[in-house]
Amino acid sequence: MALSLRPLSRGLASAAKEGHGGTGARTWRLLTFVLALPSVALCTLNAYLHSGHRPRPEFIAYPHLRIRTKRFPWGDGNHTLFHNSHVNPLPTGYESP
Amino acid sequence: MTHQTHAYHMVNPSPWPLTGALSAFLLTSGLIMWFHFYYTLLLIAGLLASTMTMFQWWRDVVREGTYQGHHTAPVQKGLRYGMVLFIISEVFFFAGFFWAFYHSSLAPTPQTGGQWPPTGILPLDPMEVPLLNTAVLLASGVTITWAHHSLMEADRKESTQALLMTIALGTYFTYLQLSEYSETSFTISDGIYGSTFFMSTGFHGLHVIIGTTFLTTCYFRQQLYHFTSNHHFGFEAAAWYWHFVDVVWLFLYISIYWWGS
Repeated sequence: MALSLRPLSRGLASAAKEGHGGTGARTWRLLTFVLALPSVALCTLNAYLHSGHRPRPEFIAYPHLRIRTKRFPWGDGNHTLFHNSHVNPLPTGYESP
Repeated sequence: MTHQTHAYHMVNPSPWPLTGALSAFLLTSGLIMWFHFYYTLLLIAGLLASTMTMFQWWRDVVREGTYQGHHTAPVQKGLRYGMVLFIISEVFFFAGFFWAFYHSSLAPTPQTGGQWPPTGILPLDPMEVPLLNTAVLLASGVTITWAHHSLMEADRKESTQALLMTIALGTYFTYLQLSEYSETSFTISDGIYGSTFFMSTGFHGLHVIIGTTFLTTCYFRQQLYHFTSNHHFGFEAAAWYWHFVDVVWLFLYISIYWWGS
């Protein structure tokens, strides 16, 4: 017969009880609250502290950027979907000062 | 002989494969009509038809399995094969985008400045929000494993709590990526860098949304007592898909965000 998928259905728990190896629900709950969520909190803090507006780069009309071979099928066809006029220049330059 | 004498599921005739095929045609032709002629009716019809097909088809699978008992052990084994093969096909889908990225970034052309990232591109700092996104998805892998074990140990309260935390983390990831998309100084039209970045991360984000939806469906089914402690394949399929989404992100993070910056 082809490959047996039965082991996949049990995942890391070779037994429903959490005895040997400690891979039951209690272990994963501990990992959640001691490792996983604190890491998310720390990384959130780190990202927040390093956010904040940087001076935007000067506009140079490079031919390999801001390509407009075909207009976008929305709006005026010249703005990308997540266009942010403060940081995204049009092919002709920044819109807002 | 009024009942079957085998353990397999002879599915009743169903209209959903046909409506699925029709909706696929509407979606593809709809995209063409939208991109080339700015006409959206076909696309909207396709989105509506495909959503309704998915809802009704999978509703029927739940009815057949949970309420009518058709999902015997060999049937479940077939469903497992199916989910594994589907995920493998998705791996190949992403492999194409990674191929495109490495093709362009390993041998940068003179047209883009002979360097990677190309001249004029300010890549995102991998140690800021992208690192947070990595922590969020890895944490969600831990919480879904907790949910699975709680489910197997018949702890209803904890498995629901862990599943909700997984959904919350998935939503947090999507929110963070959307805000990143609004803040990047480069766009999809910024040459090959923009194309590879947004196609890869964009399709990944779509898969995060799909995975979150799958997990949310599991949450509602859990509330309706569909799962037992040793028969809950819908949950396992959602968990496998979620781990796949996490692994794709790890490859994205290492290749595009870190090595490619």
